[in-house]
Amino acid sequence: MTEIDVKRKVLEANASAARSLKETFGASGTLVVNLISSPGSGKTTLLEATARALKDRFRLGGLDGDIATERDAERLQRAGIPARQILTGGACHLDARQVEKALAEEGSRLAGLDALFIENVGNLICPTSYDLGEAFKVVLLSVVEGDDKPFKYPAIFSRAAFTVVTKCDLLPHVDFDLSAVREQVAALNPSAGFLVVSARSGEGMDAWYSLLEEKIAWKREAPAAALVAP
Amino acid sequence: MHELGLAAEIFRIARETVDARGGGRLESVTVVVGDLAAVEPDLLEFAWKATVAGGLDEGAKLHVDWRPARQLCSSCGEVPERAEGSWLRLCPRCRQPLRVEGGDELEVRTMTFSEGAA
Repeated sequence: MTEIDVKRKVLEANASAARSLKETFGASGTLVVNLISSPGSGKTTLLEATARALKDRFRLGGLDGDIATERDAERLQRAGIPARQILTGGACHLDARQVEKALAEEGSRLAGLDALFIENVGNLICPTSYDLGEAFKVVLLSVVEGDDKPFKYPAIFSRAAFTVVTKCDLLPHVDFDLSAVREQVAALNPSAGFLVVSARSGEGMDAWYSLLEEKIAWKREAPAAALVAP
Repeated sequence: MHELGLAAEIFRIARETVDARGGGRLESVTVVVGDLAAVEPDLLEFAWKATVAGGLDEGAKLHVDWRPARQLCSSCGEVPERAEGSWLRLCPRCRQPLRVEGGDELEVRTMTFSEGAA
C-alpha cells in the first residue's frame, strides 16, 4: 500500500471556474454580487426594485438560480433588465461552472454589464461554499425569519460583506430584535456592512442603491486585477 | 445537501492522483473538513460509500479530519467554550464580542492505494 500527500482543494474545479469568471468580470469592469438567503426572504423583490431604480443609469443583469420554474428571471425581465434562469435540477446551490455556461449561452445579452446580480438558490448553507467569481456576497434576512439566524448559520454571516435585513415594514408586527441581529453579525464579521430595508415601503432602499453605485464606480475604476471589494 | 457533489469531486481527485502514479485500487482518502465548510461529516461518508459502490474502488474508506473554527477574544485570546451547534456571542470572561476564525478547510489531504490492482 502506498500513501500519498495530496493536498488538493475539494472544490478546485469550482475555484478554477471562479478565477476565470473573475478575469472576465475584471476585464469588463462588471460588479458581480452574489445574493444568498432563505427562500422567501425577498431576493427577487429587492432586485426588482433595484432594477427599476438604477436601470436608466447602469447596465444591469441578473442570473437566477432555482430548482424549478423560470419565474424569477421573468420578474426581473418585467422590471426592465436582462435576466437568465439557471435551473439546478434539485441542487441546493449554484456553482461557478453553471454561471460560466449560462453566461456563455447568453452571449452579448449579459456581457459587459455594469453590475450582474446572481440570485442564488434559496438556502443559507451550501451556497456559502461556492465562489461564483463575485466581488462580494450579500446575505438577506427577512424580519419574519427570526432574530437568531446569524448564530445559527454562522458561515454565511461570517463571509457576506453585507447583511441586508429585509421586510422592515413588518417590524411592528413581529418579535424581531434588530439590535440582537446587528450584534451577532458584528461578532461573526466585524467588517460587515449592515442595512435595514423594505422594498415594499422603500425604507432604507436609498442606502442600498448608494452602496451599489459606490461599488459599481469602484469596479469601473479598479484595475482588472483587483478581485475583492474593499 | 451537496455532499454527493463533494464526494464525486473527492473521488475524481483521488482517482486522478492514483492514475498519475500508474494506477491501482484506492484504499482510503483523508479529507480535512472545517466547521464552516457547510459539510456534514456523516452525510459526506454516506455519499462517499454511494460514490465508490459497485466500482473497482468499492470499500475504499473516507476519513474526515474535522477542524473546528476558533473563537477569539481580543483580550483573552482563544475561547474554547462553545454554544451547542453554534457560537458564543460574548467572551465568557470579559464579555467582549468574540471573533470567529478559520474552519473553512475542505481539502483532500492524503490517500492510500494498492498498486496495480485496478
